[in-house]
Amino acid sequence: MKTRREVLQGMIVSIGGASLLAACKVVVRVNPSSADGLEFYNSDELALVSRVSDLVIPRTETPGALDVNVPGFLDALLAEWADTDTKREQHNNLRQLNSELGQDFASVDYITAEGRLSELDTRAFENQPRQHNEYRALKGLITQAYFASEEGALQEQKWVAIPGRWDPSVEI
Amino acid sequence: MTDFDAIVVGSGMSGGWSAKELCERGLKVLVLERGPEIKPERDYVDQLPPWQEKNLDRISQEEIKERYFKQYPGVSYAVKESNKHFWVRDDEHPYETVEGTKYDWLRGYHTGGRSITWSRQSYRMGPQDFTANKNEGVAIDWPVRYDEIKPWYDYVEEFAGIAGNRDGLEQLPDGVYQPGFELTDAENFFKSKVESKFPGRNIIQARIAHLTSATDEQRSLGRSNCQSRNRCHFGCSFKAYFSSLNATLPAAERTGNMTIVHNAAVQSLEYDAATNRISGVRIIDIETNENRTYTSAVVFLNASAIASAMILMQSKSATFPNGLANSSDQVGRNLMDHISGAGANGIINGFENKKVFGRRPSGGIYIPRYANITEQNKPFTRGFGYQGGASPIGNAGGQIAGIGRDFKESHKSPGPWRISIGAFGEQLPNPNNRVTLHPNKTDKWGNPQALFDVSYGENEHTMLEEARKDAVAMLEAAGCSDINSNPVNLTVPGNRIHEMGSARMGDDPSNSVLNRWCQAHDVPNLFVTDGSFMTSAACQNPSISYMAFTARACDYAVNLMEENSL
Repeated sequence: MKTRREVLQGMIVSIGGASLLAACKVVVRVNPSSADGLEFYNSDELALVSRVSDLVIPRTETPGALDVNVPGFLDALLAEWADTDTKREQHNNLRQLNSELGQDFASVDYITAEGRLSELDTRAFENQPRQHNEYRALKGLITQAYFASEEGALQEQKWVAIPGRWDPSVEI
Repeated sequence: MTDFDAIVVGSGMSGGWSAKELCERGLKVLVLERGPEIKPERDYVDQLPPWQEKNLDRISQEEIKERYFKQYPGVSYAVKESNKHFWVRDDEHPYETVEGTKYDWLRGYHTGGRSITWSRQSYRMGPQDFTANKNEGVAIDWPVRYDEIKPWYDYVEEFAGIAGNRDGLEQLPDGVYQPGFELTDAENFFKSKVESKFPGRNIIQARIAHLTSATDEQRSLGRSNCQSRNRCHFGCSFKAYFSSLNATLPAAERTGNMTIVHNAAVQSLEYDAATNRISGVRIIDIETNENRTYTSAVVFLNASAIASAMILMQSKSATFPNGLANSSDQVGRNLMDHISGAGANGIINGFENKKVFGRRPSGGIYIPRYANITEQNKPFTRGFGYQGGASPIGNAGGQIAGIGRDFKESHKSPGPWRISIGAFGEQLPNPNNRVTLHPNKTDKWGNPQALFDVSYGENEHTMLEEARKDAVAMLEAAGCSDINSNPVNLTVPGNRIHEMGSARMGDDPSNSVLNRWCQAHDVPNLFVTDGSFMTSAACQNPSISYMAFTARACDYAVNLMEENSL
């Protein structure tokens, strides 16, 4: 029997190298008939979360958010951790995000999607008081999930389990 | 003939010390722990890497509502999915508050108690703390002065292992320290700016109970130096920070004199009027509901300030109708905590080319009390210290601008540095702030629930308003930008988890429960050496003081036993 992680990985067509070679137009496709493995997102939501994840933390010299299956992780997190109110809020956030980014956001070419998300990101972080919580919340979850993954922690963040010492002043 | 020479109720911060000291002096000691056994090799979760944590180590929101509805909101930074077994379930351990009041009773019922989850800040009380009540005519005078307790601070610090610097400040006496955790460059900059603008204020390294140069004695107990992982709330497989489990209980265990019984909640101390002594300790087994009574020559209550007071109040007799050793009517009164909810944070500029290596455990800086010490004419009495630190903003949980490669890469650079300081202030003793036994509500073992009636007074409110203003002024002096300082939001009583004062010590039996040795005025074979004895709260984190007074009380008690005069 497949684990949920495996099911989800099967659903997300690998877009390996997409962001490393940004000119390459690759579309994340999700087969709706395989959405049985999902516990929280529906297939459209998964497509949106996958697209945002890939754009926020793409594969570079190190694995990206899709390589470590951030969308699958978040599906499980929201199914298991969130209460009814939080679940409703998360679904609402995605609905709002979809209308901000366009209904075709998950299927437009990479450059177009990147442009739209970049614009939203700028608006979300330039203004006080804080705006676009629907996006900031998702970006926060994606980032936390990525750096909590083995690849994100070890390869990208160079997380050290046992530093062994404290150095308060390291030149960079 | 008694079952044991001594019974120690509770295995936490002070109970571990009672067990160690009494066992090492040759007494046969029974330690009663109301919770289950924690075995470090089985139950510590400090080695769990982030990717093995379930759900980002968050307890599910439904489970919080059902089981941790007090613990989690009270101390959310430390109550996680992986370490929730270090915290009580609120549905199993209910308590009540008087209408119009609030109380956070944040606890761990298991071997080692809250010594597993404490924040390890270890500051001595200073000479001024022992004379403040007398000088101001507040409550009653301490029966002890700093010079009397000083050698006991030396003694417990050497064993426990405190990392810190000797700063030469009279109000925060130096102790026996291992090398401290050096300040970051931003903290050193902040220190120089603040100390030159405010000559009476000092910024020092936090003094924390971590080994940095383990002694032979510490190594012989299986302890080693801190590895800078900052995984302390999850236990420590290196046993580098002080806890009962990491230090005192193993020391007691190796004498061969300790028996520890878990799941044994004390219901009452049985009193024999003919001898004026405790004759037995009655427990209920929390798994089987079976009652048992153990006997000993001397009893040390180390159940925590609230639980120890409740045990005394539950121990009613014809001689003591209001609870054992309570002829003064002071048991359960003068309940104190420290107060927080005032501080500031801001960006400290100029350190973007610096980062740190390692994860420093606990705090970075401490600003010892200066109010009414080096600075007078404050609109309040007593004072506060600040805990804080400066560190790179770093990851910020994704809450920084950008997407794509640049965003990903930005996590490799530390980014700007943020400094944050928060006040810990002294609460004045007030006999109306008290815990009593609820008249009709009990827990599932039939023990009365605690009923809290604690409120802060004008001095606490005024003090924190000033602490907030001072915090902003110090950040401004260091040229910080983006300074945030929320309006004072005084913490709920109990929230600092420094409960104390519920069986205060004093020289006069008519207005105090314990004498200068933590021995009950009314009942000679009873000692209470958890936070209950504190006659005033000072503003320093209190655990190291509980340790020192406990070691001193044990020495006194054993001396009396050896003279056959207990």
